[in-house]
Amino acid sequence: MIVFETVFEMLGLRQWCNKAESNEFSSVSDLMAKLGKAEINQNFWDLPQPSLDTLNKACSAIPRSRDFTAGVEQAFLNIKDPLKVVLDPLTQPLSWAIDGTLYALVALPWWIVMLGMMLFAYFVARSVRVTLLVFSILMFLTVIDHYEAAIQTLAIVFVCGFISVLLGIPLGIAMSRSDPLQRTMLPVLDMLQTLPTFVYLIPLIFMFSVTESKLYGIAIIGYAIVPVIRLTDLGIRLVDKDVLEAVDAFGMPAGQKLLGVKIPLAMPTIMAGINQTIMMALAMVVIASLVSAPGLGELVLQGISRLELGVGLVAGLGIVLLAIMIDRVSKAALKRINKVNSE
Amino acid sequence: MNSPNLAIAPIKLSVKNLYKVFGPSDKAMLPHIEAGMSKGDLLTKHQHVLALNDINVDMQEGKITVIMGLSGSGKSTLIRHLNRLIEPTAGEVFLDGVDVTSLSLTELQKLRQNNMSMVFQRFALLPHWTVLENAATAKLVRGEQRKATFDSARRWLDRVGLAGYEDRHPNQLSGGMQQRVGIARALCAEADVMLLDEAFSALDPIIRTDMQSLLSELQGELKKTIIFITHDLDEALRLADHLVILQDGKIVQQGDPQQIVLKPADSYIDNFVRDINRARVLRVRSVMQESSNHGGEDGEVDASDTLESIIAKSDGEIGRSFTVVSGDKPVGYIDMHTILRSLVAVKTEVSAGK
Repeated sequence: MIVFETVFEMLGLRQWCNKAESNEFSSVSDLMAKLGKAEINQNFWDLPQPSLDTLNKACSAIPRSRDFTAGVEQAFLNIKDPLKVVLDPLTQPLSWAIDGTLYALVALPWWIVMLGMMLFAYFVARSVRVTLLVFSILMFLTVIDHYEAAIQTLAIVFVCGFISVLLGIPLGIAMSRSDPLQRTMLPVLDMLQTLPTFVYLIPLIFMFSVTESKLYGIAIIGYAIVPVIRLTDLGIRLVDKDVLEAVDAFGMPAGQKLLGVKIPLAMPTIMAGINQTIMMALAMVVIASLVSAPGLGELVLQGISRLELGVGLVAGLGIVLLAIMIDRVSKAALKRINKVNSE
Repeated sequence: MNSPNLAIAPIKLSVKNLYKVFGPSDKAMLPHIEAGMSKGDLLTKHQHVLALNDINVDMQEGKITVIMGLSGSGKSTLIRHLNRLIEPTAGEVFLDGVDVTSLSLTELQKLRQNNMSMVFQRFALLPHWTVLENAATAKLVRGEQRKATFDSARRWLDRVGLAGYEDRHPNQLSGGMQQRVGIARALCAEADVMLLDEAFSALDPIIRTDMQSLLSELQGELKKTIIFITHDLDEALRLADHLVILQDGKIVQQGDPQQIVLKPADSYIDNFVRDINRARVLRVRSVMQESSNHGGEDGEVDASDTLESIIAKSDGEIGRSFTVVSGDKPVGYIDMHTILRSLVAVKTEVSAGK
């Protein structure tokens, strides 16, 4: 530690260091040092890491590590209240949407919900096989008494997936039209995608009450919205330049070009993005059970925390089945759109 | 296409002192270019690409102007300046006396909707629209009444030989058929000016000849002002009323195609015209002796006949001579010696000029 003291000495910072000198003891080792029992370590092999704590010992003007984490926390707490004033009313509809859908799907008789799901699947996929798959998966989950949890999971995935698509497609379109916006958005999207899923929950827990469903709603949307934005942007940018030049040559106005040419031609890519978004919402809904999201994830969590092996594994299997179901339905819809496009 | 009547038609489109430089500070390059810096020097010293260098062309109403050059000569860049798909660095483009380069965005859109239509090398049809909708593009963009629009699109599709294909999608058609849709789309716009950017270059030779005939036939009826880009001299000579030859962004020669074949301005053009079948390209009027009283002995030929057809008519007798008529009036005479000489004349002329 002498090393660092020498460094500060050489830089001529001794006076600045001593200005903040105080006599309070902050750790046992400090106390020992004050009592003159610390050994002076001059062996270079054991050179301590230049961490904030070590440097603080050599020069007390430098903050300690715990001040750093405390600073981050304080900074967040400082902006929390003004942010909450804006975000709370803005995100309230999300709570209503999730709670409403959860309530409605659970309150309705099971056979109506199942019929509705099958009709929806048939409507988007136009395939009897896929509709039968939806029926058998839902029926299986009903038989093993996981109907309610599965429906809750589906309800959350639907609402969050729908809102992600609703926000993501316009954002993707805006990104495709402006290079500066794309340059600023890409790192944000990268961060949203690489941020460990648990970390999403930390600031949200501080911001909102754990009883509010928008807490996990925001976490799911933040995680799931990325692919639909990315692929909308990509799809529109990949539209054949020759075709765009041709419609320009016929004087097509920008709005008509976007709605009538760019979006239809980018549709296969956008649909692939929607598929990814829904799958990621399903992945996140399991983790969101940590902050009171109901559904199959809750059962998985129960399996872990109470060491109930069977409960956890069966719920996990249920999630896999739901994933297969959602994937097949959206892939079939994608295929149908591709076919319409290229006929 | 080569009408014997060379009366000057009114100018429809006119390009004046047009320059185009590609690069971040294109305008700053103009003084260098005016000082005579070459394309290669501009690229190595200033990292700017000189695409068009002082282009001046007048395009006559109801005629076909062919712009010919090798790839990289700037011909596709030039045609995109006519409807301002590319902004010029300097210069003007006048359509009916209106400066296209000074129009606002909305005015430009109106002009593209109403006054100019375009056919593209790679067809550029909308893949998600039917053939009928593609043909109707211009009128759909203008927001015209749908029934009348589709009726007219159907008529034009019929006219280019695609009746019965209305409900297909473009990728179900062959290349030649797709380009027919492209032509129907341009015709259905009912614009006076048609721009064809290497329209037939992506097609195989037989279909290309078909399409050239189709275009000639349509032009016979419609008398549009056509600007046609090509890298193929045979195609250029077959279609052109006025031929413009571009090299490295500069016009090296322009004028009556017959005159260009007979008197190439430099060795670059000479290289181009050396390998063509001159008997098929040259017309009687270009090589005949003008005279209103001196007649030939073996019958009459039309001024716009090709030399090939006269050779066929002569049965191989080199002593024959013919009276040349245009309309009903005799305008000159031609003998087989003149014809034979004109078939090889160019080489001696150019080598004499060197």
